[in-house]
Amino acid sequence: MAMTLHERLGRLDAAREVQGYQTQPRQMRAAAPGKVGELRLGFSLRDGRSVLHDLYRVAPLLVQQALYWDEAMPELPICPIISVGGGVLQGDRYRIDISVEAGACAQVTSQSANRIHQMDANYASQHQTVRVASGAYLEYLPDFTIPYKGSRFINETEVTVAEDATVLYGEMLMSGRKHHHEDERFGLDLLSMAVSVRRPGGRELFAEKLLIEKGDPTVNFAAVMRGFDAFASIMCLTPPDVAARIRERFGTLFPAEERRAIAGVSRLPNGAGLMLRVVGVESYDVRQEVRRFWRIVREEARGRTLPEEFLWR
Amino acid sequence: MSEARSDGLSAPRDMTHLARLLQFSDSTLPVGAFAFSNGLESALQTGVVTDPASLREFVELAVRQAARMDGVALLHASRAMRAGDYGAIRAADAALWSRRVGEEQQMMLARMGKKLAELALKISDFPMLERWLGDIRAGATPGCFPVGQAIALAHMGADEAETFVMHQYGVASMILSAAVRLMRIDHLDTQRILFTTQQRVQEDYEAVRDLSLDEMSVFAPVFDVLVAHHTTTHVRLFMN
Repeated sequence: MAMTLHERLGRLDAAREVQGYQTQPRQMRAAAPGKVGELRLGFSLRDGRSVLHDLYRVAPLLVQQALYWDEAMPELPICPIISVGGGVLQGDRYRIDISVEAGACAQVTSQSANRIHQMDANYASQHQTVRVASGAYLEYLPDFTIPYKGSRFINETEVTVAEDATVLYGEMLMSGRKHHHEDERFGLDLLSMAVSVRRPGGRELFAEKLLIEKGDPTVNFAAVMRGFDAFASIMCLTPPDVAARIRERFGTLFPAEERRAIAGVSRLPNGAGLMLRVVGVESYDVRQEVRRFWRIVREEARGRTLPEEFLWR
Repeated sequence: MSEARSDGLSAPRDMTHLARLLQFSDSTLPVGAFAFSNGLESALQTGVVTDPASLREFVELAVRQAARMDGVALLHASRAMRAGDYGAIRAADAALWSRRVGEEQQMMLARMGKKLAELALKISDFPMLERWLGDIRAGATPGCFPVGQAIALAHMGADEAETFVMHQYGVASMILSAAVRLMRIDHLDTQRILFTTQQRVQEDYEAVRDLSLDEMSVFAPVFDVLVAHHTTTHVRLFMN
């Protein structure tokens, strides 16, 4: 957490997989003012109520205020992240820091799909830190990432979670703009998404790096993504007793025929919690399974359910 | 040929060296590999694998994945062993364990690691394995199989490339021996697939040899669901 913005983004700039994409855009140079979006959100308990007490933002990332509109969990402050740029462009550098202090709850979402635009120079990067303190609860479920053909995106997320806190965090991904052109399916140049989970003392519990590089022949393997264009990896970091109850209730989905989606839950190492994996034909097939898991997590971790999804989502 | 080495690892590069590498890569080495299918059982039940062609693809994916995850930890442990750096062996062990999702995948990694150490210590002297096994029993290190393999093989004088080849061979042969018991396929088909799969090994080694532990990576979403699927099926022959 003591790392400066420069150090954190610099570490991503040094990553092996972006070394082939170092040319400067003909438009604004990489990491120029206006291309470095920053967002810091801090939630805490004030007089028994969870509030957004700390907000710092630099365009193109934007959050206005926390709203309390979840009918099933009215105490939950909800912050949608808005990207005013209309998508992630070459040379963009984002950082997002979210912290939830002891006993507080919060939900952070994004306003719409995270579109990673086609790039002919450089790449885009994002570094996130998420800290969730004792007894706190965070739902951070960004919308689908859609890597356009020729896009390059590297993301690193560092989560620090107290032993008795619960965090629901994950990524949902489309293979590209599938209804735009068939070349869009995994037409990306680079998608690198790393996450690590630690206890406040620094002990690493879990780490995963998803890496897809241009022309990866395995994307069409049956055990990878053949016949599917959407997937989600959603982790629920939670104490072992809560994890066991969630696990018990979430039935594996693997229909014998006409598979719109398949889904299952696996145990994370070191007592970190659970991982939901979903693969589907369309984004809504995957979203439905994510919501099934989300509802169970909320019910078991907080004794609240999840409202029906809005019709216009 | 059998010059003494100053690093204390007994390694005469003679015929015994090759013979012992063969012994430790034999699928009959009792480390429990026979009990695991590495996802194949669920792949067959769900139709992800149906015939020799789809089995060949499944095995290719498994060895590619193994190279990019377990293989990276194995190479780091192998180098740490040669440098006499036990702390770095432990770091490779912890890094691989914290990247293994699914209780049955975790069990395969830890059970085979511990069995390999116990077996090796019953048949010869391996001081570093003894220390590692002590730490496994004390709950101080997870005991991942590729790390145990790296320790044992470095002791026998194997270089990192030989160690990597043996690891990759073991991944393919384990799935293929499970295949003979799980599906309609004969030994000629599985040997053909094994022979073809071996062609990958140099390419996979070159792809991962320079990676740091933080760079271990995966991308196999359907496989990941299969791992979860297997834990909830009722009819099962294998432990993963």
